[in-house]
Amino acid sequence: MKIVLPGDKISDSVLRMENGIVENGKTYATVIGMLDDEKGSFIPLESVWYPRQGDFVIGIVENSKNNVYTINLDSAFRGLILPPPRPRFGGRGRDFDRGGDRMEERIEPMQVGDIASSFVKEVKREADQIILILERPRKLYGGKLVEVRPSKIPRIIGKANTMLRKLEDGTKCSILVGLNGLVWIKGGDVLLALKAIEKIQEEAHISGLTDRIGTLLAAGVSK
Amino acid sequence: MRVENEEYILEMLGKGLREHERSNLQYRDISIRINAIPNAEGSAMVDIGNTKVLAGVKIDVGAPLQDKPDEGALITGAELLPLANADYEPGPPSPESIEFARVVDRGIRAAEVLDLEGLFIEKDKVWTTYVDLYVLNYDGNLFDAGTLAATSALLSARMPKYEEEKVIREGNLGKLKTKGIVTSCTFAKVGGKMLLDPNANEENIMDCRLTIANDENVIRAMQKGLRGAFTFQELKGLVDVTFDNSKRLREIVKKAVGD
Amino acid sequence: MKEKPELIIKGKRTDGRAFDELRPIKIEVGMLKNAEGSAYVEWGNNKVLAAVYGPKEAQPKHFADPERAIIKCRYQMAPFSSLEEHSRSGPNRRAIEISKVTKEVFENVIMLENFPGDEIDIFVEILQSDGGTRAAGITAAATALASSGIPMRDIPYAVSAGKVGDQIILDLNKIEDNYSDADMPIAISPRLNNVLLLQMDGSMTKEQMERALAMCQKAGESITKLQREALEARYK
Repeated sequence: MKIVLPGDKISDSVLRMENGIVENGKTYATVIGMLDDEKGSFIPLESVWYPRQGDFVIGIVENSKNNVYTINLDSAFRGLILPPPRPRFGGRGRDFDRGGDRMEERIEPMQVGDIASSFVKEVKREADQIILILERPRKLYGGKLVEVRPSKIPRIIGKANTMLRKLEDGTKCSILVGLNGLVWIKGGDVLLALKAIEKIQEEAHISGLTDRIGTLLAAGVSK
Repeated sequence: MRVENEEYILEMLGKGLREHERSNLQYRDISIRINAIPNAEGSAMVDIGNTKVLAGVKIDVGAPLQDKPDEGALITGAELLPLANADYEPGPPSPESIEFARVVDRGIRAAEVLDLEGLFIEKDKVWTTYVDLYVLNYDGNLFDAGTLAATSALLSARMPKYEEEKVIREGNLGKLKTKGIVTSCTFAKVGGKMLLDPNANEENIMDCRLTIANDENVIRAMQKGLRGAFTFQELKGLVDVTFDNSKRLREIVKKAVGD
Repeated sequence: MKEKPELIIKGKRTDGRAFDELRPIKIEVGMLKNAEGSAYVEWGNNKVLAAVYGPKEAQPKHFADPERAIIKCRYQMAPFSSLEEHSRSGPNRRAIEISKVTKEVFENVIMLENFPGDEIDIFVEILQSDGGTRAAGITAAATALASSGIPMRDIPYAVSAGKVGDQIILDLNKIEDNYSDADMPIAISPRLNNVLLLQMDGSMTKEQMERALAMCQKAGESITKLQREALEARYK
């Protein structure tokens, strides 16, 4: 395991990776990260979030005009929540196109400043920027929103959600983790959860983190 | 991105909790390092929690101010550097940065940290002391960090010589002669509660803010900010808290300056 | 008229350095909590702070580039940075030019095409100056960027070389900057051996320039090493 810096060679062959660049058949890192020579894996220590379809994200409503919500995702990319498609009705007022309850299509009205979670439906290349079309928005009430470096988000979730579950059990908080680098915490011992998240960010690269977090959670907050 | 957590902060305050386990009238860790910029006649780097302010002092010979022809001049400037906060933009001084400079200046001037009369040289020539506050990282409470930085930089500054129409900045120089020492305490009113040394999250949601600068004996300057209001009762209480805390603040300054 | 001081006395420079010797350099990463990435460099008597923000939506909109992120770069000297008088705040023409050529270094190495319509902000603050501040600033900004997670192809460094008589000297301090016969700041992308910034004024033959370039490249090995150590230190 060694640290690689932007411009360092990762492989003598062509690898397609988010944080790499291919030149003359070789792959170079574009961000600082850890390279495991044996496993051939590269983990960024710092990186920007590159949105993918299906990503769960949390953001703040920045604008609401013409039923379109603009969501600030605290990243290079902005999100839009579009109004649901107008239902097409058949002759006698019945909805022929889709059956069933249309409740899920309705978007809860939100105001500028509200916190909302959603999923990335589409990464769209517009004329002058990349826009994320978001779907299934859910307004989040209360709680605390915390900025986390996107490269550390996977550690907060853990393999198969193990770390996230550990945090929720140890603090009795509901925790939602946006892949864009925003984490929402509510109920329970929020201060303890914040402490744990801070520690995960600082020590993400040091092995044995899961145990250390366990110890911190067991100890609880001093107050 | 400004992340507002008003509900959360108010809820926590209701339970008597503040971020990072602080009490309402408790400062974050304060550190002062003088002589951070040796080229300057005086300098001090102050950290209050994550707020980082650098003060640089330059002493030049120049014309006196029009209305004060017999004394030295003190000119205080401040820059909220864009690298200190995502919301700070480069450009001409904002009202916030001007208020910041003027409030720190007021405290130093009123407390007579400098002996301005002693900085007179001859007709139309006086020593001008420039204090520049450089905000390097913003996490609330610039006023107290700025006052500590300016005071520490002045108290540890060296005094250039004026010989044969030239300013000598090198060699064996004495210290800038100072008289008083000033520190300040800044409070944010959040959810009806008074919080000393507010961090950025608390300043984001505060109703109003009060800075009180004082020395051992008297109040030297005050500044209330933002649209909320204080009651007379609250004001008197905050003056008491300020005097209670200022002894420790003066001690921190004296220790840093090496008295 | 001020007499021109001797820059080389008995084979040594005014500060005792050898002709190809760098001033002592220290680099520290991550001291500013709000910025995406930050670095502090002490280079001889220079004290330089650099920080980066972004990528974020370009403002105002008419500045945005639909193909790639734009870079906004500001180099500024603190009013208390010189050994002489207090200087007025605000950008002067020299600072604006340095901001431009610094920006152009990073336009080459940052993967701007990943962020169309966005901007990346680079700030260089010279807290104390003693010659060669633009080189220290670029070296600091490159290190700050490398610590931020903003993707880049390589980590550039910068250094200056100059000439006294026929002697090429490396890394000019302030006096040498003022009185040498040529002054050449240069920024290099070490992996690709590309020149990303080059300025020069004075007089130099082609052969002298080649000697200067070679001296800078050799010094670059040490500078790159220091950048690397500063970045790795955060994770040790």
